[in-house]
Amino acid sequence: MSLEQLELNPRIIIAVKNANIGAAGDILKFSGPDLQRLTRLSVSDVHHLQTAVAAMFRKNPPVSALQLYRGECPEWDCGLRVSLGCPVLDGVLRGGLLPWGLTELAGPSGAGKSQLALQLCLSVQYPAQYGGLGSGALYICTEDSFPIRRLKQLQAEQPCLRRDVPPEVVSSICFSDNIYVEHAADLEALMECVSQRVPVLLAQGLIRLLVVDSVAALFRSEFQADQGLERSRHLMAFASALHKLSSAYQLPILCVNQVGWVRKLVNTFLLPVDSKVLPALGMAWANQVTVRLMVTRLPGVVSMETQSSAPRRLEVVFAPHLARDSCFFGVWREGTRGLPPPPTQDASS
Amino acid sequence: MKPVSASPLSPSVKVKLLNAGFHTSEELLQLKPLQLSKEGGLSLEEALEVQQILSRGVDQPGEGGARIGLTALELLQQEERSIVTFCSQLDTALGGGIPLGRTSEVCGTPGVGKTQLCLQLCIDVQIPECFGGLGGQAVFVDTEGSLVVQRVADMAHAAVQHCSLQDHDSEQQEAMKDFTTENILDHLYLMRCHDYVELLAQVQLLPDFLVRNSKVRLLVIDSLAFPFRRHFEDLSVRTRLLNGLAQQLIQIASQHRVAVVWTNQMTSQVRSGQWELVPALGESWGHSATQRLLLHWSGTQRQASVFKSPSNTERSVPYSVTQHGFRDAPHASPGASGPPRREAPSGGLSGSKRPRMQEGQ
Repeated sequence: MSLEQLELNPRIIIAVKNANIGAAGDILKFSGPDLQRLTRLSVSDVHHLQTAVAAMFRKNPPVSALQLYRGECPEWDCGLRVSLGCPVLDGVLRGGLLPWGLTELAGPSGAGKSQLALQLCLSVQYPAQYGGLGSGALYICTEDSFPIRRLKQLQAEQPCLRRDVPPEVVSSICFSDNIYVEHAADLEALMECVSQRVPVLLAQGLIRLLVVDSVAALFRSEFQADQGLERSRHLMAFASALHKLSSAYQLPILCVNQVGWVRKLVNTFLLPVDSKVLPALGMAWANQVTVRLMVTRLPGVVSMETQSSAPRRLEVVFAPHLARDSCFFGVWREGTRGLPPPPTQDASS
Repeated sequence: MKPVSASPLSPSVKVKLLNAGFHTSEELLQLKPLQLSKEGGLSLEEALEVQQILSRGVDQPGEGGARIGLTALELLQQEERSIVTFCSQLDTALGGGIPLGRTSEVCGTPGVGKTQLCLQLCIDVQIPECFGGLGGQAVFVDTEGSLVVQRVADMAHAAVQHCSLQDHDSEQQEAMKDFTTENILDHLYLMRCHDYVELLAQVQLLPDFLVRNSKVRLLVIDSLAFPFRRHFEDLSVRTRLLNGLAQQLIQIASQHRVAVVWTNQMTSQVRSGQWELVPALGESWGHSATQRLLLHWSGTQRQASVFKSPSNTERSVPYSVTQHGFRDAPHASPGASGPPRREAPSGGLSGSKRPRMQEGQ
């Protein structure tokens, strides 16, 4: 932003230019006394200058929490959540995925991470009254190829999974046409996709959900153990690009992550020790995550009607608005569905 | 008599005035603007401005450098007010809660409860005075997108329920009429910043905002680390910006009698060949806040340690985060060993005693 856009006395603007301050944003980086010295302006002039610049850079004026609660600030919180398509799972997430920030879904292989991610790609396409955002999804694969056959099956079974939605609504959506798939074989391709192709899709209104399956694969494979600093720099750049997209377009983002064993730390007291495994990528990534969910596969078999599945658990590790809660679910032919809480020991944990 | 050299004028004007033989601001104010411009070698515009600034400095001590000092007694009286945390053990460890007029930093790993503590403070600062609260308002600056208003509403509702269970005298009954979930939300001002430039802009505008909303007693920045840990190739620039920001926040805290609380992230660092977690933003940043609070885990138990404080000794106390908010740990016995608390809001709370609320919609 240039200095001419400031509504100030031209005398002040000339003084700023004479002090070799080119960009208006730089003014915020100086303290008041520094600016006085550089521009030779008086205290009150500098105060006017700082206030004018700050007002220009502040995107939104303060709002009260009540306005937000009543939905009067749709640019902050539109009040919508992306449903997972199952009331039990949605119950744990208070309605579904937040339309901002990064939601991480971590778990060992075979726990059902991709199953949940696929189901989200379908349920985001429903109109808002059925828990969707009425738009498509982009699925970025970095590990395996996209599970296209499973998607076809899920699509065919949608009427069975979503009995809450009128059949004509389900049949009117052509699910697989609205799911865009990208394969990123290396970090460079991933960054290019996030910084160039995703904004295009968003600007055209084609997608309202981004799935990255998984974040861990590339960051784990491309760096050696001694390149920790380099890795966390790239990780930050990636996370920061995602955050920017998310806040600019109110885009829900789901990052699938692997898990690893807890690294030996001197002060392990900083982590809860009830878990033996931790999501991969360490503290640098964890600091970027808004909501962290974990799925685990449990021993045993549960059955529903004629089908059977391994029981799994979806757990909220942390979230600003959710309790540390969990529920059980199974992966069925028509999709993932929560199980009613069993009366046994695990229900309280 | 205030010397010209100490006045908040631009250096070039000061030099001109001093060369013309003016030494005190009173001398300058006695003259007519035209006279001043002639004798001081200033333009008429400058002369007018000089008088404007100086006359404002005389009757408005809050502006610029012209601040009248406080006595130690006044400071002591101001210091006594603090915001309770609703965890009685933590309040004791902090000497009554989060103090007004000071800066506090809350550090911890993701998910340990930093945001929950901040939100709890935003509600507790609004507890009416007759319940032992401050009857204030709060500002919450969200940089991470961690503010979900439904959660705030839950916690506000729980706080209202709690106060309505207390014994009422007529004053408290009167106060309860205004202490509602709606009013709590209405008196919590939110600002969202997506990067550090926006954060700097917000902080720059805060003093004016606090003058307009003079009941604000708490400023929360959640988190300060998040915007400053990205986009910085040159760490010396970051250090300079952070130091400036810390100065501004300290000034806001003391000039507007506001408790300033910000959160910081943890980062892993190799020290003598081993990994450990330390608060982010570097070693020197650790000196910025008056007190530092570290939230951490002890097994599956959450604990808070006050690890930098001018007045409190270092100790760890357990706490918990329930659906009602930030609370005492459930197993902490409020019996004989527990310190007796006078203030009603934080005394003997245990999540299980209170009516359960509906979770979710």
